[in-house]
Amino acid sequence: MCGLAGIFYKNQSLRRKAPVGAQLVKMMAAMRHRGEDSTGYTISGESVGAGNVLARLCAPRAACDAEATRLSRRRENGAEFIAALKAIQKLGGRIQSRNQIGRHLRLVFGYRKDLRAVADALLAIPVLEIHSLGQTSEIIKDEGDAMALDAKHHISAFHGTHGLGHNRLATESQVDVRHSHPFWAYPFPDVTTVHNGQLTNYHKLKRIYEEQGYRFQTHNDSELIAVYLADKLAHGADLIHALQDSIQDFDGTFTYLVSTSKGIGYAKDKFAAKPLVVMERADVVAVASEEVALRQVFPEEIERAEPQQSLCRVWLN
Amino acid sequence: MVKLDAAKKTTREINVALKKAAERGEEILVSNPGARHNLGVCILKKCKITFDGSVGYYCASMLNGPEVLVKGNAGWGFAEHLMSGTVRLTKNASLAVAASMKDGEVVIEGHAGARAGISMKGGLLAIGGNAGFLTGFIAQKGRIIICGDVGEAAGDSMYESLVYVGGKVASVGTDAKVVDVTGEEKKWLGETLERLKLKARNGVSWKKVESTKTLYQFDKLKLKDRRVV
Repeated sequence: MCGLAGIFYKNQSLRRKAPVGAQLVKMMAAMRHRGEDSTGYTISGESVGAGNVLARLCAPRAACDAEATRLSRRRENGAEFIAALKAIQKLGGRIQSRNQIGRHLRLVFGYRKDLRAVADALLAIPVLEIHSLGQTSEIIKDEGDAMALDAKHHISAFHGTHGLGHNRLATESQVDVRHSHPFWAYPFPDVTTVHNGQLTNYHKLKRIYEEQGYRFQTHNDSELIAVYLADKLAHGADLIHALQDSIQDFDGTFTYLVSTSKGIGYAKDKFAAKPLVVMERADVVAVASEEVALRQVFPEEIERAEPQQSLCRVWLN
Repeated sequence: MVKLDAAKKTTREINVALKKAAERGEEILVSNPGARHNLGVCILKKCKITFDGSVGYYCASMLNGPEVLVKGNAGWGFAEHLMSGTVRLTKNASLAVAASMKDGEVVIEGHAGARAGISMKGGLLAIGGNAGFLTGFIAQKGRIIICGDVGEAAGDSMYESLVYVGGKVASVGTDAKVVDVTGEEKKWLGETLERLKLKARNGVSWKKVESTKTLYQFDKLKLKDRRVV
């Protein structure tokens, strides 16, 4: 089933960053029934500054591996995280801040060259996962429901201009952090997606992208959407055209949301198989699988639209 | 009249309270439904229920007898499997409104999403606005009235159901065709819309989507063939 949510503040109306973290937590908590295997968020809009990179890394083994736990106690890092820091420094990156919560590491480092080199160096470290790389967005995802994630990762404290949320009910691939949504699009900064549905031509398309040198971190069909869109954007397509093309190129059922550094968008399959309701006001846009989620943030009776088959739309600042 | 504040109750508490009030034949007003799911389901007595606000999935489904009014929007599967009674919605309905309804009336004042009246088995579904993709999909019996336009693949794989459209038909589905309405049907449409307080647009030209009956063959088999089947 899976539940999706997205929120987008139109820049001109925003004097300071909006509490998108707290709002997404409320929305995802209201759609808990759509999946409790894992929950994830993209929070976007707070830039770490030009020349800096914001990374979200995860080392699932670190917490259970005795050796790593000892290291972790001593130096606040698992073995994989130490290797990651070394790899970044070797490429000329200057570590500016690091913050570790259990198996998760939030890292800011100064780096002006190609992100692909960093991504490849990090992915060469066994077990280490890249959740996101970018300048204005970060992915926070973990096993458990919206409230559990908020308690552990303090999602409610995050501010920004836009963001995505996802409740996962796994139908494809494993139930673990690695296979949770949102997915970051290797190796493009700030492109992330959440998906509800199944892509049936996943293997065929994945092979095409792998032949072009793209790397996939999981066996989850949804990761393909992120890579597909980022590839289109890298080749100069507008986000809206990338979404339009995807409706033709993807087989199966899907409603997915995408977040870039500029804003969010959605696309729906040709069967209108998966739900999405959209509420748009002069200052803010909120989308979710169910109206009940929107009502947590906008408790009054709202005007909402329900896009049908083969439709897509974007909101960008 | 019994007043029920949904905000302070669990879904089960609301439905138990509705059933008890229905047993006594009372009129019920539910405030703050908050687009929650599964409200007012499986009520098998005549009674009057009003939801003052939007409701979520499967609201007013599996009913036999009640008269339900929802002042707002509704989620997927609104008024699903209605056996008898009337269900009315003042705004828009999501997908699969009145799915497999058997009898009674479902009235949507706004628009309806995809697959409205899917697998209907009888009764009347009247929509004041537009209806979405695959309206009347595999509907077996009963009638759908759409005052506005209908989306792609209208009446796909339909059996004996009829879909009346006041506006444009984007396209018909497999085994469906658009035909003219008879004078008698026009009269019935006028009377029905007046009774239901729905308005067709100005300059409306009614047309009907029905099955071409090339896909389903059940009754066309000869007696000796039926034995084989």
